[in-house]
Amino acid sequence: MKTLYKLSLFLFLYTLVVACSNNDDELTGTGTLNIEFDNSIAGNDLILGTPNDPNSQDETLTINRLNYIVSNFMLTDEAGNVFTYPKEESYFIISEETGQTEVTLTNVPAGTYTAVTFGIGVDQEKYLQGAEEQGDLLTEAENTDMMWSWLTGYKFLNFEGTFTSSTVATPTEFKIHMGSHGSALDNYKETTLQLSANNRVLVSSTITSTIHLVVDANNILDGDHKISLSEQAVVMVSEEKSPKIAENTKKMFRVDHVHNGNGGSH
Amino acid sequence: MGSPFVIKIRAFMNYIFGILFLYIGISCGTGDAYVNVAPNELLPVTVPSNFPPLVYDIEKNPPTRYGVELGKKLFYDGKLSANGFISCGFCHEQRFAFTHHGHQFSHGINDREGTRNTPSIANMAYFSEFAWDGAASHLDLFPIIPITSEVEMGETMNGVLQKLQRDDTYQQAFDAAFEEGGINYENFFKALAQFMVVLVSSNSKYDKYVRAEEGGTLTARELKGLELFREKCASCHATDLFSDGSFRNNGLPPHPIVNDLGRAEVSGSANDNYTFKVPSLRNVALTAPYMHDGRFGSLEAVLNFYENGVQDSPTLDPLLKTENTLGIALTEVEKQALIAFLGTLTDEEFITDKRFAEY
Repeated sequence: MKTLYKLSLFLFLYTLVVACSNNDDELTGTGTLNIEFDNSIAGNDLILGTPNDPNSQDETLTINRLNYIVSNFMLTDEAGNVFTYPKEESYFIISEETGQTEVTLTNVPAGTYTAVTFGIGVDQEKYLQGAEEQGDLLTEAENTDMMWSWLTGYKFLNFEGTFTSSTVATPTEFKIHMGSHGSALDNYKETTLQLSANNRVLVSSTITSTIHLVVDANNILDGDHKISLSEQAVVMVSEEKSPKIAENTKKMFRVDHVHNGNGGSH
Repeated sequence: MGSPFVIKIRAFMNYIFGILFLYIGISCGTGDAYVNVAPNELLPVTVPSNFPPLVYDIEKNPPTRYGVELGKKLFYDGKLSANGFISCGFCHEQRFAFTHHGHQFSHGINDREGTRNTPSIANMAYFSEFAWDGAASHLDLFPIIPITSEVEMGETMNGVLQKLQRDDTYQQAFDAAFEEGGINYENFFKALAQFMVVLVSSNSKYDKYVRAEEGGTLTARELKGLELFREKCASCHATDLFSDGSFRNNGLPPHPIVNDLGRAEVSGSANDNYTFKVPSLRNVALTAPYMHDGRFGSLEAVLNFYENGVQDSPTLDPLLKTENTLGIALTEVEKQALIAFLGTLTDEEFITDKRFAEY
């Protein structure tokens, strides 16, 4: 009898342990993953219409618009498997002025993800699909001034405002519109952000998580490539500067932190 | 019992039935939402035997009867512009092979003038880049340029769609044309593209000549012109589309005020300065004025320019530059023969085809 008691206790504890560890390890079903694009400038919050500290080129920018397209999301899990979000739903416009700064990926397979990859802009493949599949993106692009009408494409980045510098005393308008130049020059870029060991993101049918990215708008002009507004304040199609702006823009994203399991609130 | 009373009853009953029938007839005829629409059908797309292969992906957007009809309706509808009057067909007139005849710079909304001459619309499905500078690399999306241009139609795409959505006729037309009906960007662009895809000019006297068809006899002078054309012009005005679709600087002195950089405005590359898309020469006798800025009023003037007007510059097309000379050597007799040949590219069927006509 005593043996039976011990055995049943053991079984009870064993079941408990197994059940609990199952709950911990097995992420099942599909879930939702949010990616927050928190626009900032050189470590401070980005506030439209407010002057910022001078950048390394001694130019003081007041940003009035920061809109960009992010696309083609892919997630890599611990085993190295890559989940590619359905292409037709994988285009998003981030717009500081409309407050549209979050991407929501739904029906993401459960798992522990270690990296997120996405594009900045619209790839040629998408563009060459013609009218098919452009629908909603065009509508949204026109509403956020991201439709590049005279190039019949998309602005990948629309960065506008005013600036002053040592040589430009009165606030002067700047406009940085970056996109692909028809078939002549492809400025679409992709970036992969690693999620460090303490920033793995979990997705399951019961866990909705958020990757909080900090986006440093300073990098657009003041990144690896130095783009001087005093030299040229309006850059739309430049064979030399536009690809540099695209490179800089690609590197403006970093993972700040991850919220696992508390949904959209963070 | 043929009493008058019974007869009267019968007559009354007939009258009642008659009214009833009449009433049923009326209710059938005017029943709301009852529209007898024949099913949509695919239109055959045949590549003329002397043409290169299609570029446009017909599988993705196959022309259908109602799709093309809708495209044509849109093409000729001023609703696509801000003031409601400037349609695509305003600048692209069928009788001039879909160009804006007599206008150097095409004028659009509020009589504002652009800086370029309206190009012909024909055989678009065989090209991969559109507009003088190749700003559009897909036919479907080309209409965004004129619709949103401040000097052309001055509208927004959203504005156009909202106007169409308020129009019952368009709702029915879109639903009839597309399985997944509805007035949206995709269907809007697809319908216009279908119309442009069927705008094929392939039945000029020249075409009949190269296909050895009836009506394809060229005169001696036209034949001489063809020979000269193949020798001196066809490296750029290549294939039976009469354009290789490339961007080239033909040595036209830049307009001092406009200074249109052409392809460089799209690519941002100084290597493309003053290059423009090689235009097709189909129906060229009808499409004056000539060049991207419509500066030449006649084909004679064009040939005179190639003979002695070509200006050297870093981006001048190498084909127009030999060791000591610029341009293309041509005698007066040769010019006349070339012009005679160019006249054989006029396609009467194309410019009178009812399927493409506004009315």
